[in-house]
Amino acid sequence: MKTNCTHQKECLQLIQRILDKEATAEEEARFLANKDQCLPCQEGYALELSLKKAIKDKCSVSCPSDLFTRIKTKLFLVLILISILIPLFC
Amino acid sequence: MDIPVVDSKISPERAHAIFQQEFFPHMDAMYNFALKLTNDEDEAQDLVQDTCMKAYRFIHSFEPGTYAKAWLFRILKNNFINDYRKKSRGPSKVEFEWVEQSITGDEDSEPAFQADLQAETVNEMLGDEITAAIQALPVDFRMIIILCDLEEFSYEEMARILNIPIGTVRSRLHRARALLKVALSNYAKTKGYV
Repeated sequence: MKTNCTHQKECLQLIQRILDKEATAEEEARFLANKDQCLPCQEGYALELSLKKAIKDKCSVSCPSDLFTRIKTKLFLVLILISILIPLFC
Repeated sequence: MDIPVVDSKISPERAHAIFQQEFFPHMDAMYNFALKLTNDEDEAQDLVQDTCMKAYRFIHSFEPGTYAKAWLFRILKNNFINDYRKKSRGPSKVEFEWVEQSITGDEDSEPAFQADLQAETVNEMLGDEITAAIQALPVDFRMIIILCDLEEFSYEEMARILNIPIGTVRSRLHRARALLKVALSNYAKTKGYV
């Protein structure tokens, strides 16, 4: 097992592209084959994966229900007004 | 109330249907994005409301069946840049430029550092702590992390939303993550996670 990766910068970029689903199948296969032999790549992969997962799972908030209601009401009023006004000008 | 000018070819009933079917399912995502951009709940609410009104005003340029979420996010981002960025609580443009220069020097360069951070440490962190670290980033870095990692847009979609080349998406995202890892690493050390 390698404890020092000589292509760390390139590997980090590739790891991020893989996790972002932007890498090609060949790139992904090549990296995964190499990963088992390289400790920094394993750790880098685990860190990028945990960070991406933490952002997705822990950083979401819901739209406040009163905001949603306010927007729907405002749009509904606009649509009603437009429905009334359009026949007057056509 | 301002009545948005709208293409008369789109009937009010049709506009209502588009909102119900295509736009309203993305309200949580829009509010999330707005909150991360403004760092302020009231401003985020105003930004989402303004975005919906602008979406109605420009509804004639939306093609049903295309990716409504990306279309809405582009409006929201433009709205933020034009009307909210100056008053947002996020870091100023000066700070942003300083951070950019301190990392690399130009868009295509690599981050000059790697954070001393472990996956286990990130797993132990609370959502509020990670959110705080994201919100401490300069707004352009904050924006790209949210679009990619929270909303899962592709690089191509992010390039369209942000109106930047795809190569800039890659390099900005890479540097945003490097900055975030450094921020989380520093935070973890001060809080005794490591």
